Amino acid sequence: MRLQAALFFAACLSPAAAIYPDEVNHIDFHHALLGTPSPDSTFFLKPSPASNASLLYTLSDKLLLGAVNPRDGGLVWRQNISRSVNSPAYGAGLLRGFDGNDAIVGAVGNYIASWSAQDGKVGWENRVSEGVVGDLELLELEDATATSGVRDTVAVVASEGAGIVRRLNGNTGKTVWEFKDTSGDVPFQVSSSSTEVFYISLQSAMLKGFKIKVTVLDPLTGQQTRQQILNTEADVATPESVLYVGANSASPIIVWTDKSQKSLKVNVIGTKEINSITIDNTSGSEIRQITVHAPRKLNALPHFLVHFETVTGAWAEVFHVDLMSAKVTKAYQLPYLPGQSAVAASVIDANVYFTRITDLEAVVVSSASHGILGRWDLQKPSSDIALHSVSEVVAKGKSVAVRSALFRKHGDWQLIRNGQIEWTRHEGLIDAVAATWAETDAQEDLAHELEVEGHETLYGAYLHRVKRHVRDLEHLPDWLKDLPKRILSSILTDEVSNLDSFGVARSVIVATKNGRVYALDTGKHGAVSWGVQAVETSQWNVKAILASPGVATIYPDDGSSVTVDVSTGKIVSRIEPSSSKLHSIAVFEVQDGSSLATVGVREDGTPVTAFANEDGFLVTTSVDGRVLGWFAKYNKTPVWEFVPPSGEKVVDATARPAHDPVASIGKVLGNRSVLYKYLNPNLALVTAVNEQTHTASFYLLDGVSGKVLHATTQAGVDSTQPIASVMSENWFAYSFWGDVDGSESSAKGYQLVISELYESPFPNDRGVLDSATNYSSTAALPLPHVISQAFMIPESISHMAVTQTRQGITTRQLLCTLPSSNSIVGIPRPVLDPRRPVDRDPTTAEAEEGLFRYAPYLDFDGKWYLSHTRDVAGIKAVLSRPTLLESTSLIFAYGSDIYGTRATPSQAFDILGKSFSKLQLVLTVVALGEGVAVLAPMVRRKQVNALWRA
Amino acid sequence: MHFSLSSLVLLGISSLVSASSLTITIPASSPLPNPHVLPATSHATLTSLPSGGKDHILSASLTRSATFVFHDLPYSGPDAQPESYLLDIRSAGDYVFAPYRVDVAADGSILGIWETFRGNSWDNRGADKYIVDIAGKKQIDVVVEAKVLGRKVFYEQRAQFSPLSLVKNPMVLLAVVALGLMFVMPKLMENMDPEMRAEFEQHSRSSPITGATSNAMAGGGFDLASWMAGTGGPNPTTNNAAQAGSTGRDTSGPARRRG
Repeated sequence: MRLQAALFFAACLSPAAAIYPDEVNHIDFHHALLGTPSPDSTFFLKPSPASNASLLYTLSDKLLLGAVNPRDGGLVWRQNISRSVNSPAYGAGLLRGFDGNDAIVGAVGNYIASWSAQDGKVGWENRVSEGVVGDLELLELEDATATSGVRDTVAVVASEGAGIVRRLNGNTGKTVWEFKDTSGDVPFQVSSSSTEVFYISLQSAMLKGFKIKVTVLDPLTGQQTRQQILNTEADVATPESVLYVGANSASPIIVWTDKSQKSLKVNVIGTKEINSITIDNTSGSEIRQITVHAPRKLNALPHFLVHFETVTGAWAEVFHVDLMSAKVTKAYQLPYLPGQSAVAASVIDANVYFTRITDLEAVVVSSASHGILGRWDLQKPSSDIALHSVSEVVAKGKSVAVRSALFRKHGDWQLIRNGQIEWTRHEGLIDAVAATWAETDAQEDLAHELEVEGHETLYGAYLHRVKRHVRDLEHLPDWLKDLPKRILSSILTDEVSNLDSFGVARSVIVATKNGRVYALDTGKHGAVSWGVQAVETSQWNVKAILASPGVATIYPDDGSSVTVDVSTGKIVSRIEPSSSKLHSIAVFEVQDGSSLATVGVREDGTPVTAFANEDGFLVTTSVDGRVLGWFAKYNKTPVWEFVPPSGEKVVDATARPAHDPVASIGKVLGNRSVLYKYLNPNLALVTAVNEQTHTASFYLLDGVSGKVLHATTQAGVDSTQPIASVMSENWFAYSFWGDVDGSESSAKGYQLVISELYESPFPNDRGVLDSATNYSSTAALPLPHVISQAFMIPESISHMAVTQTRQGITTRQLLCTLPSSNSIVGIPRPVLDPRRPVDRDPTTAEAEEGLFRYAPYLDFDGKWYLSHTRDVAGIKAVLSRPTLLESTSLIFAYGSDIYGTRATPSQAFDILGKSFSKLQLVLTVVALGEGVAVLAPMVRRKQVNALWRA
Repeated sequence: MHFSLSSLVLLGISSLVSASSLTITIPASSPLPNPHVLPATSHATLTSLPSGGKDHILSASLTRSATFVFHDLPYSGPDAQPESYLLDIRSAGDYVFAPYRVDVAADGSILGIWETFRGNSWDNRGADKYIVDIAGKKQIDVVVEAKVLGRKVFYEQRAQFSPLSLVKNPMVLLAVVALGLMFVMPKLMENMDPEMRAEFEQHSRSSPITGATSNAMAGGGFDLASWMAGTGGPNPTTNNAAQAGSTGRDTSGPARRRG
């Protein structure tokens, strides 16, 4: 009780335990992710003509545009374009830019915009009304009129039955000229040389296939100067058959193959001639993929590389284009090597370099000759398939250095510099759909031994214990050996004690949509301990992950399950999918032991299996918006059914967390009387919305009987915006967008409502329960006394959670995910007290209780932000977990980015923090010792003198 | 006549098609001296209740010139109701901007922009930022200035270790004073004239503690443990002092020993 009071006052003095600047990157970690970089829209670029430093730019499959620092893999800036795109059908995005130009131009769907390459701010943006942007190219040539450094963009817009080529001003995004092709051809790509703009479209041939039509445009006026049609209908069956349309080189090319992949066809754009080159396939196996790598710079040599990939290996051929005769000749070949390889082209001045990374080595060659300029063995050969790479070559005299950003099939983006892996970004984590805290089995042995001792005779138990301690002695030498190091490091390092043994370092098991499972160690800044491909799929709809000591079991919606070892990632066992599709997975504790069991719930809300010897109950929701209550013993008919009023649709249901300890059953008021909390472990909060009348209703149900304990309806609610809700202890909270709605509400904005449940409105009174020690849900269940209060909040909340601590003594924080400012905020519960006095100052008794005057607007204090200045984007769920330290709760957030931290809602009262200076303590002790040493002889002399005098 | 009619039609079309845009500029202010330091993720949103299938959440990103531009405000046809939007500007949680109320007419033109106050009635409008000129022509592109309210403080400052703070510590101060007394007092006593000194000693003997300490200092060999136990030490001076200091304690020694 006294501890609680102390805690409470600590909480009052400082309403939030904010993060200290020196704790950043120490207690928290953040993986700012981009997603799978698309091969065509990833490049190294020097954003500033003044500096030689380049950044790595990409537009990912998640439509996240970002710049990565190639030095450490840190994110420089990031933009989410998916917010800006409002055309329904969009494919991959396009991104273009080039060295020295501080603008990169991207297009997705009907949206085309330019961003500052250095800081990612929008230069201009455009929404095409006619259709979607098919291709994009930056004009490298400089007009006499253009200001230096700003390049215009040429875009192809594919609309119904017509292709439009537009030149957009580099500064404003306004259309300079427009060329409309209404012939009904399929708009394909755009390319440019130093003097001309080429519009490439595909003309349907008479029978089948396409003819490639090249329309040459004047870059200044957009007038058509000439047109060429290549007879390619025999080879080009679909737009995908064209392998490459060369962009921005002195001689742009179109590359395709014949249907049998026997010969390569190359056309220098603007000429009529088609060069046919026989593919020299010596490997004997079928070619799986052909990719063309050509420089994208205007002044680069007209060389290009064609990379051929078979199932077992790959080789590449380098070709030169003769500018005069438009003839293509083969220069040399990079030999066939078994395994995977990825090739990238890079340009220094006019020289073109090709970097080839295979499973074992990285090789750099010049396009001019086949001599190897640099070769490095890879430090850690990876078994993961390399999908594509981009490279940057630096030439120092005769030697070269290269760094390549390599994207691997399993979602790792690696920077390899001269064969060394500099950093790895685990972009695969962006698809995280479920996560849970792993349970390690380190304590398991001891628990087992103690159990043995508990069951033996007194003498036997004693012997067993002595033996155990003797066995423990074998760790003594190691412990002694480490002792000096530990003492030294504990004085020198900032952190007073290593908190890993207090449950602060935990693994988190994360399952992603594409069938991968990762383990992240929160003790090592969220480093990925392992990642395995559990299932080969792209739609792994994981419903639950269950952790038991040593293993974690992942349950997707098809009734299957995969069990992995949490320390190694090895797949321990697998259960094959059953036929029925599951809506959700319920987890409950089996009565006979501490193990957990799961039961699948079908889309109509019925549990798949029944548990004959369980006394539990189950609350399920069905797809058609009903809430059902079941006995665990019987899964044929529900015990009760909750159907919301007509027009309403159940959108969400929450319950109290599994670990939700209550430190005190009452709330002590200022006058020492007690308000008793209404503590029912079987509560469920159901959210139902009515889209027509814009109302949201919240029903508090008893899970055993289905009885509605409390119901409330909010008007003017936007059901398309997130409605988050959470429940803990004796309170629940929810948030929504509330609009002006006649008499009900006169405010417009986001609202947060908190409700507390008490047994009776009067202190020292338990209502009908009186002195009862227990009550039954099925007999007369007393209704709670509900005190509610609403707050206006500055922004929307997409997800709510509550901090969990070991005993529940520490005040709780309401963890809210703020999607519009990309942060996570922990609102201290005392601030959200619904008993705060309205329109008057608190009385002395209320002030003693910690209540202060109610203000309708609740601004989020900067110190409440757990994510402080970090841009934690796309969070879908936040997990909290108690540690062995009562003050500390672990937080893990996932969904798009990954973020983890430690929350100390009542400050770290049981840890000697960084502010505790060991040096000061040591100095004080030393100073005292010296004082004694100095004073002792003085005193002794005085005493001796006094004795002589007496 | 024919010409004027066609131009009217043209005018009508143009006013229907070219929905107005809203530009929010960020002026330099004392909390935000340089608006260009705002991160690229800063954005402005216009939010309202969904009605009639038009966009009810509009978003604009920060541009290079530190502005937010909403192109093409939604219009829903001539017979629809005007819509009232809440304009929020968010800058990665760092700078705090005042919310605005933006009223947009059915044809997509802006009727007015006011400051608004969270936690207050929506009709409680603050300072005008822009109001449509009813008599004159409608302004197509509206430009208003954002108002920076302040900056959020995310971090707690840690108390720095300094030797001065060590000296300021009351315990250290007490120790310093006690040490000072210990060294300075005998000097002072020596400088006193003999009469006053005798009086002072007489005075201090009335209190057993000071008496004892002064005895200890003067006589030496003081047994603190025995003094605390009230049994007196072997030192005769101490016994005398104790007896002189407190009368009627002749039997106290043995009595205590028994107890």
